[in-house]
Amino acid sequence: MKILVCIKQVADMESRFVVSEGASWFEETDLAFRINEYDEFAIEAAVQLKASLGEAEVTVLSAGPQRASDALKKALAMGADKAVLLLDPEAPKKDSWQVANLIADWAKPQGFDLVLTGMQSQDRGSGQVSLFLGELIGANSVSCAVALEASPGSIKVERELEGGLRAQVELSTPALVSCQLGLNQPRYPTLPNIMKAKKKPFETIEVTAALDPAQEVLWMGAPEKAGAAELIEGDLASQVERVVSILKDKKLVG
Amino acid sequence: MALESTREIYWNIPSSSIPLMYLLSAVATGVMLWGFYRRIRVYQQGETWPPLSGLGARVFRGLKLALTQKKVRRQRGIGQAHNLFFWGFGVLFLGTVLVFIQADITDPLFGVRFLTGRFYQLYSVTLDVAGLVALVMIVGMFVRRFFVPSMRGGIKPADLWMYMDLGLILGTGYLIEGLRMAVTELTQNPELANYSPVGLGVARLVAPLGEASIRSWHFGIWWFHMLLVMAFLAMIPFTRLKHLLLTPLNYILFEDQPKGYLKTLDLEDESAESFGVATPKDLSFKDIFDTDACTSCSRCQDRCPAYNTDKPLSPMKLIEDMGKVCFAMENGSLIDGVGKDALFSCTTCGACMEICPAEIKHVPKIIDMRRNLALMEGEFTGEEVAKAMDAMEVNGNPLGFAPAKRADWAEGLDLVPVEEADYLYFTGCYGSFDSRNQQVAKSLVKLAAAAGVKLAILGPQEKCCGEPARKMGNEYLYQSLAMENIELFKEKKVKKIVTSCPHCFQTLNKDYRDLGLEAEVVHYTELLAKLWKDLRFQLGKTSLEVTYHDSCYLGRYNGIFDAPRDLLAAAGAKLSEMSACKEESFCCGAGGGRILAEENLGTRINNKRATMAQQTGAEAVVSSCPFCLTMMEDGTKNLTGEPVKAMDLAELLVSCLPTESTLEDK
Repeated sequence: MKILVCIKQVADMESRFVVSEGASWFEETDLAFRINEYDEFAIEAAVQLKASLGEAEVTVLSAGPQRASDALKKALAMGADKAVLLLDPEAPKKDSWQVANLIADWAKPQGFDLVLTGMQSQDRGSGQVSLFLGELIGANSVSCAVALEASPGSIKVERELEGGLRAQVELSTPALVSCQLGLNQPRYPTLPNIMKAKKKPFETIEVTAALDPAQEVLWMGAPEKAGAAELIEGDLASQVERVVSILKDKKLVG
Repeated sequence: MALESTREIYWNIPSSSIPLMYLLSAVATGVMLWGFYRRIRVYQQGETWPPLSGLGARVFRGLKLALTQKKVRRQRGIGQAHNLFFWGFGVLFLGTVLVFIQADITDPLFGVRFLTGRFYQLYSVTLDVAGLVALVMIVGMFVRRFFVPSMRGGIKPADLWMYMDLGLILGTGYLIEGLRMAVTELTQNPELANYSPVGLGVARLVAPLGEASIRSWHFGIWWFHMLLVMAFLAMIPFTRLKHLLLTPLNYILFEDQPKGYLKTLDLEDESAESFGVATPKDLSFKDIFDTDACTSCSRCQDRCPAYNTDKPLSPMKLIEDMGKVCFAMENGSLIDGVGKDALFSCTTCGACMEICPAEIKHVPKIIDMRRNLALMEGEFTGEEVAKAMDAMEVNGNPLGFAPAKRADWAEGLDLVPVEEADYLYFTGCYGSFDSRNQQVAKSLVKLAAAAGVKLAILGPQEKCCGEPARKMGNEYLYQSLAMENIELFKEKKVKKIVTSCPHCFQTLNKDYRDLGLEAEVVHYTELLAKLWKDLRFQLGKTSLEVTYHDSCYLGRYNGIFDAPRDLLAAAGAKLSEMSACKEESFCCGAGGGRILAEENLGTRINNKRATMAQQTGAEAVVSSCPFCLTMMEDGTKNLTGEPVKAMDLAELLVSCLPTESTLEDK
């Protein structure tokens, strides 16, 4: 079975994001980057499938700037077999349609049986790349997987629905599944695997496909502050005093 | 005319018995030697040979520590009792050696007898008293081991035989002496009999039996005594008694490393099949010897913060369990033998190693097994720890804050660029990000400014020193963080570093040396204590009554006990010590990477420590470690009764700095 895992390197969400006036995306200086959390579930799922199927090849792919190679190396250390970087310094600014097309152009001729992705990226959060990609490469696609089983020619997926419901879906390959929190616990790479990863095939492909964006960002920035929480500290008596004075100030008590 | 003061050696023993006695002794000695010899192949499972450079000095060290009982006597009470027992039995042994020398060497070969006259009198009285001391001690030790409820758990199968044998050897010794004296000295040389007071008492008791009866009893008991001695020799390697040889040998095999040293793994070693310790073959010869050198005295266990809060770790049991796996000779799993919960419960506080009379190194073994779990299995004590590892890797700190915010705490403070600074202040993750500990970092900067010392920080470029990762076994992450920091120090030509965190201090000052750091590293308590002595800053007086909590990595591992106390005295604080202080300090619970982990097993260590602080009646528990402060903040909040404030020494000192107006007054 040929498995493709699509991952994205995103800024750590604890970062201090700076958006320049009129910019459509945040500055990258002083940021720490990591693998998109949902994509880690996809990598883990692929590695587990490989172990359970015995015969499978896991390719991990990212469309992004050079820094994304760190994310790919970590995916190799987690157990993927080879990595492909679709090198595009502008990738973070591209919209979901553009990114899905970038990936599809490369992936379609490769004939993958199963494509795994994260459910959404932590930074852009559109949740669209995976399903666009499924359409573009002609795979049966399903989102929000919380359990996954594969046998030759067919994939069984448990999906998380709203309202605490679950649904089981069976798809024939080629298939695409996007992975949701709860699917698995991504492994911590072992040292021998980190060392082995350094020797695994790593292909960098410069991509230049200039597809027009399907959407335009008009404005980006932090929302206006709507209110603030106050943490009341100190000993019990002073805490009580403070609460009482707040209630009185706000005229919530007489 | 007074008879000569001496005695006939082998009195009443037919000469035909002597060769048989020696033959049996030789057999017993053979069993003893075999008992030790067969262990060598167990030790040799460890592929690294023991350190033996400077053997002469090592032997001298071993003898010195054994004969002075320096390590054993630190435990008040039982330590002194052991000392008395050691010397009581030691004198008896030396006495027996003298008998052997005279009876089998000097007399038959040269006709020389030296156990005569004044010397014999002295010899006689010394041995008589030594025997009594040993007898009292063995009875006392027996009662303690078998009748003190808290001790009963530590009884080993052979203990009863061992105590009985030792007690009977001493008892029958006096019986033989008394029986001999009843026939010889009591009637023929009563003056000499006074030089064996205990023997004399026995002699008077048995005298009425009559000579013939005494002689036959004497002959029988003499043989019984000899067989008991032979049994003693033969049982040494198979009981607790093995420590007679193994403890001094362990002193000789000691590893001459700074306290708290952990070996720096060569992670690029392509021939290495695995990293860390999983089975006996991954251990060193010395590690396995350590497991055998344990006498199960339980001093480590008595002090272990994990054991004392009902966690599944006893350092003693850990060493015993490792020993069992090693002695099974099957290269079995040490981690299964010890249990993962035991491994992960350790705070690496080092109290076990500090007190161990046999110099067993518990903590490096625990770290080595954690290394195997972390590096080979990617396993940590919990998800939260794996998450913290990830944060260290991505954000350069275990708390997951943005590296860009690392210097936010220092805004508006009196800092200079690195090249102009007297010291680089390596702030550490807690000082940089934890709001409570940011107060400490700010205090330190103000104190340095008051003393005219220029500090710089690396800010967003500083990374976690890697200590929690290292102690959790993640040597790979530790080394990558360490190398980044060291490169940065070199690039910025840093010569002197001050830390506020004892964990950073230990890591930079000791662990980084293997990776090439040369800069001088000090902890702020030492720096400030020196500046204070040099009259570089003034302090007003506080009226606060405090107790001082020694951080393990400042105190036990680095011996810095006086500097913080001198500073407390300088500020006029009234110090009441907890009974567990200085070398005996009780960990806050956050060492060994446990600061990153949930404490789900047993009760909370910090609550126990906070209660100890409260019992001193102090208003505040002062420490000089960000982990300790974090734990004491939580621990003191959970106290019932008198409130205790948790604070860092730097905060106390900064509150005593004279304000602008008071300075002008002077």
